Amino acid sequence: MCPVYGGTAVLMKRISVEELQSGMRLAKPVIKDSMTLLGEGTELTDRLIARIQAMNIADVVIDAPGEGGSVKETLLSNLDRVFRDRENEPYMGLIKRLVREHIEQYHE
Amino acid sequence: MNELNIERLRKTVENIHSLPTIPETVKRISGIIENPNMSLNDIGKFIANDPALTTKILKMVNSAVYGFPGRISLVSHATVLLGLNVIKGLLIGVSVAEYMETAMTGLWSHSLACAFMARILAQKKNIEEPEEVYAAGLLHDIGKVILIQSYRSEYEAVMNRAKEQGTTVSEEETRYFPVHHGTVGGWLAEQWHFPMKLVEIIKNHHEPLRSRIAPTETALVHLSDILVRARGIGFPGDDSIPVVEPRAFELLNIAESDIRDAFEEMEAAVARSEDGLSP
Repeated sequence: MCPVYGGTAVLMKRISVEELQSGMRLAKPVIKDSMTLLGEGTELTDRLIARIQAMNIADVVIDAPGEGGSVKETLLSNLDRVFRDRENEPYMGLIKRLVREHIEQYHE
Repeated sequence: MNELNIERLRKTVENIHSLPTIPETVKRISGIIENPNMSLNDIGKFIANDPALTTKILKMVNSAVYGFPGRISLVSHATVLLGLNVIKGLLIGVSVAEYMETAMTGLWSHSLACAFMARILAQKKNIEEPEEVYAAGLLHDIGKVILIQSYRSEYEAVMNRAKEQGTTVSEEETRYFPVHHGTVGGWLAEQWHFPMKLVEIIKNHHEPLRSRIAPTETALVHLSDILVRARGIGFPGDDSIPVVEPRAFELLNIAESDIRDAFEEMEAAVARSEDGLSP
């Protein structure tokens, strides 16, 4: 599964350039050798996807609106995933609880 | 990669100027930072002579992160207020932002959120120089950038293995490299003549108990890294989380209510930074 980012407003995910489909929107600019080739927010077309795939770039970050539920649900499932085998370590349970409470309140 | 011994890796970091992938601006700025004879005044002039850099530094300073009343519109004012160590950290921070993001999409957001969190917690703990902790948060993963830029395919193998095993990149890095990104970042910070505290924090952010002169500051960045990963801001190269060092957590002795408040303040700082501080 691709890592999911929790920004303050939109969710993003990193996908490999082979998985790109037209209509997807770039959540982060495509930068190569310090040059911005495609800006943030660009909606991808088949032509642009072909260009990206020809550029020797492994992956890009796209907007993932509403995928798998609300922002809150995605952040909470991210939290469960990263803590999967670490929860019983000293203080990790406490940290997880504080973060969960924060996400639940902040993303009401 | 048996042929990559510790000396050779260190040489790579020390000769970072010669890496073709390092952008001109970073080379120029690291040259300035490395020069121990540069005074605060000289650095201020250097920034003021570069309009793009001036804009970035003033944006950073005025992003309400620093909480001075009113706006700061002059670089000379900013340098006097912040001091040499902080300005050096910020200078590198703003210049590597884009570079960091090119190496690993999401690493800059992770670093920025970690810097905010570390600074907020530092203030709650009445640490003497919270701005220094902020700069350390911004740069704590700079070693990852160096490893990616110098050994891309090996680093991709590190990331793939971490993904498969559900571990962190720092746990996997030592399978492929003689040392992990903290050590590499520490070398770079030494090379850049960063203050010793900053070097220690960057070097030891995964082993905070090793820190001799800045144990509390190192523990703060160690914890902030974990908190920001748990909250899911940015991408630090893996889909897992380091385990907090219990004695470092005890050393900090932070109240639960302080961590709760720090999260609120960090979200506000991230939201404010979105228009001005993206790379």
